[in-house]
Amino acid sequence: MSNNSDVVASGEYHPKPPFRRKLSFAWAGVLPFLIFAFLFLGLPSFTLFIGGFQDSEGHFTLANIYGLFTPSILSAYWVTIRISFATALIGGLFGFFLAYALVLGGVPSWVRSALMTFSGVASNFAGVPLAQAFIFTLGRVGILTVFLRELLNIDLYEQGFSLYSFWGLTITYLYFQLPLMVLVITPALEGLKKEWREAAEILGATPGQYWWHVGIPVLMPSLLGSMILLFGNSFGAYATALSLTGGLINLVTILIGSQIRGDVLHNPNLGYALAFGMVVVMAVTMSAYYLLRRRSERWLRK
Amino acid sequence: MAYLTLTDISKQFGETFAVQDFNLDVEKGEFVSFLGPSGCGKTTTLRMVAGFELPTGGQITINGADITNKAPNQRNVGMVFQAYALFPNMSVSQNIGFGLRIRKEPESAIKERVEEMIRLIHLEKHIDKYPYQLSGGQQQRVSLARALANRPQVLLLDEPLSALDAKIRVSLRSEIRAIQKTLGITAIFVTHDQEEALSISDRIVVMNEGRIEQVGTPFQIYNFPETQFVANFVGSLNTATAEIADPEQGLLHMDGVQLSTAEKLIGLQKGDKVRIAIRPERFSFASEQKKANVVDCTVENITFLGSVVRIHLLIGNTKFHMDTFNYPSLELPKIGDKTQVTCSLRAVMILGQA
Amino acid sequence: MKKNLIWSWFWIILSLLYFFVPLILTFVFSLQTLKDQFSFISYQRVFEDRGFIRSLIFSTEIGIVTIFLSLALMIPTVYWVRLKAPRIRPVIEFISLLPFVIPAIVLVFGLIRVFSGGLLPLTNTHLGTNFLLVAAYVVIGFPYLYRSIDAGMGAIDVVTLTEAAQSLGANWFTIMFRVIIPNLRAAIFSATFLTLAIVMGEFTVATFLVGLKSFGPYLWQVNQNRAYEGSALVIVSFLITWAFMGLIVLVGRGAGASDAAGPR
Repeated sequence: MSNNSDVVASGEYHPKPPFRRKLSFAWAGVLPFLIFAFLFLGLPSFTLFIGGFQDSEGHFTLANIYGLFTPSILSAYWVTIRISFATALIGGLFGFFLAYALVLGGVPSWVRSALMTFSGVASNFAGVPLAQAFIFTLGRVGILTVFLRELLNIDLYEQGFSLYSFWGLTITYLYFQLPLMVLVITPALEGLKKEWREAAEILGATPGQYWWHVGIPVLMPSLLGSMILLFGNSFGAYATALSLTGGLINLVTILIGSQIRGDVLHNPNLGYALAFGMVVVMAVTMSAYYLLRRRSERWLRK
Repeated sequence: MAYLTLTDISKQFGETFAVQDFNLDVEKGEFVSFLGPSGCGKTTTLRMVAGFELPTGGQITINGADITNKAPNQRNVGMVFQAYALFPNMSVSQNIGFGLRIRKEPESAIKERVEEMIRLIHLEKHIDKYPYQLSGGQQQRVSLARALANRPQVLLLDEPLSALDAKIRVSLRSEIRAIQKTLGITAIFVTHDQEEALSISDRIVVMNEGRIEQVGTPFQIYNFPETQFVANFVGSLNTATAEIADPEQGLLHMDGVQLSTAEKLIGLQKGDKVRIAIRPERFSFASEQKKANVVDCTVENITFLGSVVRIHLLIGNTKFHMDTFNYPSLELPKIGDKTQVTCSLRAVMILGQA
Repeated sequence: MKKNLIWSWFWIILSLLYFFVPLILTFVFSLQTLKDQFSFISYQRVFEDRGFIRSLIFSTEIGIVTIFLSLALMIPTVYWVRLKAPRIRPVIEFISLLPFVIPAIVLVFGLIRVFSGGLLPLTNTHLGTNFLLVAAYVVIGFPYLYRSIDAGMGAIDVVTLTEAAQSLGANWFTIMFRVIIPNLRAAIFSATFLTLAIVMGEFTVATFLVGLKSFGPYLWQVNQNRAYEGSALVIVSFLITWAFMGLIVLVGRGAGASDAAGPR
């Protein structure tokens, strides 16, 4: 530490260099982390980003970005967004009801801790095993499908259901979406103070009025934020979709997968733009999640 | 009939009684505190008046109407919670106007009433702020205004000051009392802090283990505790064991030191051992004109407590505290000095047989 | 109140049905290798398959290396930031959360593009490819690890602890291994098991970098060709996930598990 007042008194004042030195010293300790993150996170992302704005000769172009707006690619984005939206909405609502039942529903606490633990497992039980479990259950020759057809005479596939399509994918994704919702919304529900309900009640409000004026508005940022997180969670899903449909559904992740395996777009740079587009969607989603979460934390602070 | 009555109120959780045989009449405009250690049933009793708990026995009336089993939102009582419990999604004015809005009063009336309340709690500058932007003391004032905006018949305060800093606690407590007097509202105040209860109340209900120990004015509670529990819980106390020398004269012996009480010791025999208690401020240094208990003692230590000086005395073999006001001309003995202190006959309280 | 409770049980039972029917039916399926009788033959075949053991060991090894590399990278970084450079904390936090924004499929796409040629052609050798896989997993694990380590260090007030140790004459090595790390045990364990749970079944990155060598793609491959053994593998994989998550619960609440998002 330099003693500035002494320096000024003696008449030779330097604009203080210690600050700079201290700052670079601060960075020195995190250098390994930064280098690693740059190499294996920054560089790959950045390369895709650059590649998305280059033609095959390496010149700058916007053609790839325009290319994203061709029907086949747009439809891939559209299907991905629709599935993500559906699973976020349904998983969000059902997850909220389940979390509500666990936190405020008056069930024994062991039920609650057992289901919370299970949610931790189920939200990580995804990908190939999950898809296969649903194929064994609801696939064309799945046990439940056969059971319903043979014994109850309900032929799901005759009635237009297919596990390998939009709704099948949605039902399967819900297996990790619902528990994830339970995990992220539970702290918000726990943050709802009992006194708010009592204060509203003693001021004359019915339980319905309490939820309308206080409960739901207070939970809204967390609810929206959690659903956005769910949206992002299913937006990037690859393994589950591939395994369930064998790659026959037109999702952005599946398209990128095929592009990596064998340039199905016949334009590597278009592939980079495609991947970059995903990052943009994810970045918007996660920023919204982050902002909403900050807001709800401010309200629910204990 | 009193304005608020609680008759034979009891509350049972399984086998245990949280509140038992609770009888209390509160007059209109009266400020009554429930004082006691945690778990004594004071909050449960308050919550039964609010309607959050239903009594397992007894009756509660307000202004003659039986409200024992009414839902909280049908009672028209106001409540201030320990943790403020302001709605985080509403501004100060929305919080205060909440109850009126629920009652579907016209917007203009709501606005007027909210402004009136804001003036009452001196938060004119903060009307559009949100709870998280306010300090604890400000939040609790808003909470008070919210409870009062509905013109409740009874105001319930559940340890409203215990989450606040010491300084704010004192200033807000006199503010609450002033507002209560201005509006002439009937109030019940739950606290575990005896100083708070003594300073703010018209009457205090001291509770222990679900039962009322004593009901009385702060003066009565402090000076004439009826039970050992009240004597111990309210104020600080020196206690000792003494042997009865003469029950008729109220004479006691304590390690060879003679003490007298004002009362006759009815039903006790010479030689019986009793617990006695003397408040520290009832002692003073002996001077000639005092015709009271005068005892020899040794000064063991002296502690300054600000406005009060606490002197640690050894009387016989028992340690006593003596509190005396601190003023510049105060002549204090030195540690180790032998001196004499005095206290009136009425200062010696008998708490029961040892 | 009563109505509330009935609704609670309704949702809980509905969810339990949804969660357990696929698992139970998959289990039932896995027992049906032989016609007309239940047997564990599919499990026997799974365990006898050399690919199973080999891929399981490979993924476990990758997982363990990933954990050590992650911890070696993250603990000193978070510690340093808390101790010496609190001002750059938002930067580190931001970088640590970035992988949430970059789906695994995009990450592996970028990694292949960067490291299949150029200055660091890692994908040309087995060792290089395996390292790239580890690196990808380290990156994917950033958010969980950062959070649980950061929360762990926040809970024990590392600054004061360090100063106390220093004033007692401890050197940096002692501080790190005798003071800081032992106090982070719960955080480290929960992050470790979560990472293992994720790495063991990971499919997206593994399939493009190492293929059938690792457990996720192997499981997929088996399911494509042999349904009964596939279903047995699904059950085994679920049990593995259960085991790791159970361990997290055992060592205390999983600090990093709340926003969990595994391999999709």
